[in-house]
Amino acid sequence: MANKNKQLESLSMGGFVKSVAERLRAVGKGSDGPVPDLLSYPENRLAQQLHPHVQYLIVEDIIDHSPDMKSYILAPDLKRGGDQLAWFSAGQYLVLQIALDGKTISRPYSIASSPRDTKDGHYQITVKRVEGGIASGYILDHWTIGTPVTASAPLGDFTYERLRDAKTVIGIAGGSGITPFRAFARAIAQGDEDFKLILLYGSRTKKDAVFSDEIAALAESCDKIQIVNVLSASKAKDCEQGFITAKLIEKYAPKDEDYSVFLCGPQAMYRFVDKELATLSLRQKFVRHELFGEYFHPEQNDDYPQDGKAVYTLTVHIAGQTHTVSCAADTSMLRAMEAAGLNPPSDCRSGRCGWCHSQLLSGDVYVPESVDGRRMADKIYGYIHPCCTFPLSDCELDVPPMPKV
Amino acid sequence: MNQYDVIVVGAGNGGLVAAALTAQAGYRTLLLEKHNIPGGCATSFVRGRFEFEPSLHELCSEGSREDQDSATKLFQSLGVNVPLLYEDTLFRVIVKGEDGYDVTLKAGMEPFLDSMEEAVPGCRESVKAFFDLIDPIDDAMNTMGDGVPNPVNLLRKHSDFIRIAGHSTEEVMRALNIPQKAQDLINTYWGYLGVPTDDLNALHYLSMTTAYIKGRPSMPYHRSHELSLALVKALQDNGGTVYYNREVTRFLYDGQDAVCGVIAGGEAFWAKKVISNVIPNNVFNRSDNRHISKRSRKLANARKLGMTFVTIYLGLDCSMEELGVNDYSVFIARDRNPRKQFDTRDKFGLYIVNCLNKALPDATPKGTCTLFFTIPIMPGDLPADLSPETYKAYKNDMAEKFIRDYEETMGISVMPHIEEISVATPVTFARYLSTPRGAIYGYANERWDNIIARSVTEAMDYDTPNLYFCGGHYIRGDGYPSGYMTGEMAAKAVIRDLKEGK
Repeated sequence: MANKNKQLESLSMGGFVKSVAERLRAVGKGSDGPVPDLLSYPENRLAQQLHPHVQYLIVEDIIDHSPDMKSYILAPDLKRGGDQLAWFSAGQYLVLQIALDGKTISRPYSIASSPRDTKDGHYQITVKRVEGGIASGYILDHWTIGTPVTASAPLGDFTYERLRDAKTVIGIAGGSGITPFRAFARAIAQGDEDFKLILLYGSRTKKDAVFSDEIAALAESCDKIQIVNVLSASKAKDCEQGFITAKLIEKYAPKDEDYSVFLCGPQAMYRFVDKELATLSLRQKFVRHELFGEYFHPEQNDDYPQDGKAVYTLTVHIAGQTHTVSCAADTSMLRAMEAAGLNPPSDCRSGRCGWCHSQLLSGDVYVPESVDGRRMADKIYGYIHPCCTFPLSDCELDVPPMPKV
Repeated sequence: MNQYDVIVVGAGNGGLVAAALTAQAGYRTLLLEKHNIPGGCATSFVRGRFEFEPSLHELCSEGSREDQDSATKLFQSLGVNVPLLYEDTLFRVIVKGEDGYDVTLKAGMEPFLDSMEEAVPGCRESVKAFFDLIDPIDDAMNTMGDGVPNPVNLLRKHSDFIRIAGHSTEEVMRALNIPQKAQDLINTYWGYLGVPTDDLNALHYLSMTTAYIKGRPSMPYHRSHELSLALVKALQDNGGTVYYNREVTRFLYDGQDAVCGVIAGGEAFWAKKVISNVIPNNVFNRSDNRHISKRSRKLANARKLGMTFVTIYLGLDCSMEELGVNDYSVFIARDRNPRKQFDTRDKFGLYIVNCLNKALPDATPKGTCTLFFTIPIMPGDLPADLSPETYKAYKNDMAEKFIRDYEETMGISVMPHIEEISVATPVTFARYLSTPRGAIYGYANERWDNIIARSVTEAMDYDTPNLYFCGGHYIRGDGYPSGYMTGEMAAKAVIRDLKEGK
């Protein structure tokens, strides 16, 4: 039996007794029409505009930079219901669905155009032939004006954040890694980004330095942009010669203030420049890498426990079906599943974004530490990112299917 | 093949528990989730070398009747064992301005009362009397059990309960003569409950806050993603199935207007019972309205959407000590009064800053720490003219404003240490939760829609045959334990009805 609290007696019991009647009265005042559609709310609409589940695009134009490098101008595919293009932050990428030989594979490509360019109705991506690359070769050889392209919303966090980054950014670009910097430069020139970009652009020869002249032209009318070509295999007027070293970075970096370093390029460039950067003792917050890209040769790591020559069997549960897939020890589980035509989800292919998050039901795997972007609890409960996971035995895994739109 | 006993729609806290329990009871259970990971709000995200906790501030115990709280018992019954670390303080309140104060309240009822007495001399007895009211509440709840209470019995034996349940928090506090400053101090906690205390039902407040004080706040060691994965394991260990990337786009009904299945990912799945962790608005939007009763529609349309937040997640490249932070949870306000805090929420009325490293010292790499800002706002508070082009600038401006205010309030420097930053708004929550206007707290627990009234009219309010609900929008209001407990309630109802052949 509860103790009676005398002081409570000043409170009526009527409130409780009446509360049901009050509730019924309030409900009675509600409309009996359908509840409002989600997209009638501005918050839901804005979320949808910024992060559409899919973007239906079409190749509107193609720019030839060289036999092995082309830019594709992508516009909304009206026929498939594409309308406006999602706005983005310079530095982000699109994941393109590429149908080849009856399979669908997906690949991330940095957006080389600026956010403002979406108002002119296009994104630009630039594709360079990668030796042995399935997707780049297919695109370069098969895409023509009018090819339909299915893309993700803009993704990725290789973006300029004014509360985090220094006012000056030393951009370090190699090869097709120039593309996000073209977006940064255009966004600065168009007033949508506000920082000083000093771009050190590594190429073999001046001729290989795609977009260099275009960015130099932007720099002429905008003092927040500066581009320096760094040529490894030739000499040219107004260009630095050699590689992007600590010394070179210091030469162009501001002397008495903090600066951020943004890197985008091939893995060999990251390995070289990271060593150089280490000698500059920059705070970690000031050094930002774009996606590492796919991981190859796990067997070359010191902590890899086998010889990397075995071939294992993956039992894959996806979309209510079970498939048996062969996977060489040095091949990521994602690539093996793609080769088998399973169309598993993937966005960044670098271990970071988690879109390929899958459950490992049995078997042993190797995940290189440098690309292990999993959450802590994933490791405890047996979840993996197949894009950066290599089998050490036969394995069984449960993979979410690509969502149907 | 796609025939189940139970389909659970949405793997949030409620859905995970509901599915694990029906599977454990031996029913063929399918959990359908639109994302590729479970948890809803109970998740985590990685930026650089930081793994952020996106929503959980602390797990409060529920049901203070016994030493062991009901959420913990529920987890144990499912074989879920997630390491938790406990905090010794509840929160620090800093009210700025002339008649402001800076008080840290301790966890555990006696230390809490001591810290109240120290802050407001003479308040101890009245504050104690207030929190002692949990006993008559528990008493009444116990006798009610699952059945409909006998009104005469209630009036005769549980008049305290009835007086509490029929009034706002502040009305009950005034009746007990709690000094105004002491009231304001404790009531700053409204920010976590979503409704200012002049409107918030006293019983709701008492049951949540008492549990919080007595049980001590705790955090899962590996973020709330760990809680969610542990619950998925419980589901799978009991023979249940979870399908990710399968958004339910349609609820299916039979000739008697009873739910009989759903369509997810273009495929039909059939079940005897469907439990929705998804807010009724979305269920109705994905149903043929002929099957939805007029009353259900009127209720959904009459309700006010619950609170949402702007949240700021910072990874800093200095330790908590170097930063000069020594509190897990700080509530910062401009005015003592909760209603004024609510009404001036666009002008720093109230916001909360958590430093996870205080609760979990190695939550982030050595020499780093995180801060998590929570700014309560209401659906509709975002600027009406926000567009894709202006959205990021809005987020950065909000973050800068609040970080600067926090720096000034605490006399510390945060900005130069930001290594990672992420800002979420109702737009973010609209994207991830798909709730109307990005509401996080379901429906507001305003006076007529408080948890007592909801409980009494539950059967009338949720009248679609074979369809059960759980989650933050359901009768208990928001919060992790509420989500878990409503999942348990839904599972129990489904199991009972299946057994009885209903």
